[in-house]
Formats: sequence, structure tokens, C-alpha cells
Amino acid sequence: MPPKPRPTEPISKPPTTLASSIVIAEGASLTGTYPIKIGANTVIHPRAKLSSAHGPITIGESCIICERTLISPPDAGGLVIGDGTVVEVNAVVEGSVGTGSVVEVGGRNCKLGPLTKVLDGEVVEDNTVIYGSGQRRVDVSGTESARRRLLERHIESLRVLIPSNPSKFIN
Amino acid sequence: MPPKQTKGEYIETDTGNKVSRKSVILGSQNIILGGKTIIQADCTIRGDLRRTVAPGQHSGNVAIAVGRYCFLSRSSVLRPPGRTHQKTFSYYPMKIGDHVFVGEGSVVEAALIGSYVHIAKDCVIGKFTIIKDCVRIEEGTVVAPNTVIPSFSLVSGRPGVVIDELPETAQEGLELKNLYRMI
Repeated sequence: MPPKPRPTEPISKPPTTLASSIVIAEGASLTGTYPIKIGANTVIHPRAKLSSAHGPITIGESCIICERTLISPPDAGGLVIGDGTVVEVNAVVEGSVGTGSVVEVGGRNCKLGPLTKVLDGEVVEDNTVIYGSGQRRVDVSGTESARRRLLERHIESLRVLIPSNPSKFIN
Repeated sequence: MPPKQTKGEYIETDTGNKVSRKSVILGSQNIILGGKTIIQADCTIRGDLRRTVAPGQHSGNVAIAVGRYCFLSRSSVLRPPGRTHQKTFSYYPMKIGDHVFVGEGSVVEAALIGSYVHIAKDCVIGKFTIIKDCVRIEEGTVVAPNTVIPSFSLVSGRPGVVIDELPETAQEGLELKNLYRMI
């Protein structure tokens, strides 16, 4: 029996600006009406969801957006994810993220541990680490450039592993 | 529209694995299921994240190996851990023993999980964690990366620490044969 044709998606394709060197898996989903901009060398894993229904999304260079993440700006002000950010599995991002941050499941060079939450309107200072059940500390180790180098190697290996299909998302 | 349960929610393989049609399995050529394993809807398994450095003679190209009678609940994620070693980033294979239960919405990036391990729902098991046999991990636990959890432990909290020991009879309670029959 031939498989039934899937119903076409009612959601409109957003206007996208994709850098030529990005890796975006076919299984990723970009939806909404506001523009989505993705910088060079960024990797979008399959099943990542970027929804620009309420505002524009700008993702910087050398980011990794893992599977099952939901990135959706809450209002027309939009959302900016800085260069070198890693958004880990299952994370929900509704606010802007600074350069070099790592967001796991939940300012600049910040690290949010798994299952942590940052409240609405809250500003997290540079180099903050949020861990455990809401504890915070400031990371003064100054390993920013080392972390960036590791990230670039990570992206290089993902470039081999994830089949990229940017043409599907360009309109 | 209510979901149809009657006509093939699960695809059954020759070795008795039951894999939901709605699960997300990437890189299935790099995944080994031992048999009688249940994979529920919306469960994500990242077999495509395999080793990028030349694999040794023994390791082959397996990204995720799962034993018998495992149960992967809805929305759980299995994802091999990755790290940079000697200037190259690579993912490393993940091994899961027999009778391992992974609860709803849990994210597992462990390197090794023994047999008779119960991971409750909404847990996060960090990268390169090693969990030995007969361990129970309570709901909402976050196990930090590189943790080693000994046998017969009860783990809870953020970060997950061993809060109690399990009795020697724990293995019986952690068997999943009955759960397999129910599906």
C-alpha cells in the first residue's frame, strides 16, 4: 500500500536569511511569519524548532542548536542568539542569549545548567553560571577562547555527520 | 481525532523489539537493539552522532547499543556523548544493558548504563556518565557529566547524588519483562 500523502503544512514558511556555510538538517523546522536569520557555521540539528510566529529570530555565527529545542520570541521585539552559543537538547529559549553561552535543557559566556529556568524580564549578567536548583555563580576562569576553539572542532565534526539541506528552507 | 491504537502503533522486529511509528530514530544503521525493547512515540535516538575518528578494530561503527527488555518512554532522548580529545571532536558509543527503563522526557547522554536501571521521568543524565547495575534514579534528577554511580544506589536531586542504597532484592523489582508483555 503506498503511503498516504501527508497533509501540507498550514503554517507559512518564514522569510529566511541563511549563511552559505551553515549545516541545517532536513528534519529541522522553521515556522512563522517574521524573518529568521542564521549566521555562518551554525549547525541546526534535526527536529529543532524555530518559530517566528511572534517576532524575528537572529542566530549568530558558530552556534549549535540541538534537537527538540524550541526557540520562539514572545513578542515582535524578537530574539537574538549570540555567536558561539550551544542550545542543548530539550531547551526552550524565549529571550536573547549572549555570545558564547551554553544553554542546557532550560548574558555572554553564561552557562545554564539542565532544567534551570530564567524568569521573564530577568537579565543574567556576563559569565554567570546557573546550576542546581537556581544557584548562581560567576565564572572567572577566563576560558572563553579555549571554549570557542572546542566549539569550532565540534562544529567541524557535525558538518560530517549531519546531512545538510538548506535549500528546503530558502524561499 | 483520537489516536488509533488498533492498527500498528508499534512496528515489531524479528527479535521482538517494538518501535513506535512516531518515534524519531536517526542513523538507524548505527543502532543495535538487543531484542524485546520498546520504543514509545516521540522518543528520539541519535544514532547519526557516531565516531568521527577512525574506529578501532573492536568498536566498529555502533553509536548506540541497547540490551534486552529495555523500555524507552515517550519523549525521551538517547544521544551519544561527545568530547574533544587530542584536538578532534568525536562522539563516543553509548551502551545500555538489559531491563533499563527510561522515563518520559528524560535526556540520556551516558557512556554506559548497566542492567536493571530505572530512570524516572524528566531526568537529565549528563555526558559520559557511567551507571552500574541495579540503580534507581528518581524523578527530575540531574546527573552531572562524568559521574560514576555505583551498583544498588538510589539517586536523587540536582545535582544527582546517591541518597540511599537499594536492598539486595532490588533486581526483582526492576525487571521489565511484565512491562513488555503489557504492550
